[in-house]
Amino acid sequence: MVHVSEATIRAAGLGITIAYAILIGWIFARQPATLAEVTGGLSSAVGAYRVDPQAFDDGLRYFRNDQFAEARAAFERADPAHRDATTQFYVAYVFYRQGWGRLYSDDDLYRQGLEAVNRAISLAPGGRLVVEQPGQQIRTADELKAELEAGLRRDASDFDPRRVLRPRK
Amino acid sequence: MTAARESIYLPVLFLTVALLAGFRPGAPLLLAPPSLFALVLGVLLAVVLVRSGALDPLRVMNSSREPLANMNGFTVLATLFVSSAQMFSLLTPDAGLPRVLFSVYFLTQMLTTMAAGPDRVRALRSLAVIFGAAFVLKFVVLDAVSDPAGGRLARVLQLLFEGVTFGTLTQEVHHPAAGYLAFVTIGLFLIGVSLLPAGGGAPLTSRTLTLREG
Repeated sequence: MVHVSEATIRAAGLGITIAYAILIGWIFARQPATLAEVTGGLSSAVGAYRVDPQAFDDGLRYFRNDQFAEARAAFERADPAHRDATTQFYVAYVFYRQGWGRLYSDDDLYRQGLEAVNRAISLAPGGRLVVEQPGQQIRTADELKAELEAGLRRDASDFDPRRVLRPRK
Repeated sequence: MTAARESIYLPVLFLTVALLAGFRPGAPLLLAPPSLFALVLGVLLAVVLVRSGALDPLRVMNSSREPLANMNGFTVLATLFVSSAQMFSLLTPDAGLPRVLFSVYFLTQMLTTMAAGPDRVRALRSLAVIFGAAFVLKFVVLDAVSDPAGGRLARVLQLLFEGVTFGTLTQEVHHPAAGYLAFVTIGLFLIGVSLLPAGGGAPLTSRTLTLREG
């Protein structure tokens, strides 16, 4: 039987306790909603988190074809922990395009889009996110956020008849 | 008390209790930190445990021990305090009149237990009854009264209560797993408290503390 000294047990116990306390503190601070967010958050903390490129490409293809539910499912598969800024940008973009209407926008979808774009901004280095894609009209998270916020805002411009001529970006 | 119990088992157990007690399945805020009042109740519970002899702080922290051992003792006390506060947070309803009533209930229970000066066994028994009663009231009675999909009697009671209390009694219905989780958490906490390094058997007063220090 291996004999372990008392000092070793105490030092190990202290280390385990501190590590566990830090983990719990991190969980309380981050408020992950799923187990995938817990594991993804931990792996991104050590730089080991990777987005599934195949699922991301699928999501982008669905997004361009206006297949919104499919696009969201693919992006969710690509970034289950919601730790990738670009994927979260596209999740928000999907909500924007789906919620956009010539006469009115869907507030519920816009709100979800706003949550996703805020997530993307918080994940981007320095809060600046530029996504260059040919044919894409919104290229920064700030533009997308402004569009979503404008859609949620109630003001006199909502009654402007020229509103029906504005394009979806 | 063994070194492993003091340095590993008890801190890990109390931290697990703190985590589980903060977990709110199905709620918008998935992990709830303790409220300020829960922190106050946590302090009172620590005082009750020390005065009853259920916890002898001098056995885990004193000047004759090695610094590492004192650090281990400190983690036991700190994690006990955090988990105690989280336990009160778990057992207190989230809003409305029940939140106020439960807070007053816990406060009076802690104060009366402190004033009664029970020994270790009686203090632990009292703690189990306090937490058990709060568990039944919050997760069984209040949930049944607040459940809109409940039986006819529940709906009648709910309507009556809402009329009498202007809707301040009914609560958000908990996730089905919440009650089971709370039950396990209470069990773990009581096990942890019963494993704490106890005093000599007699209730620990300020005089005995002074004598031991001397």
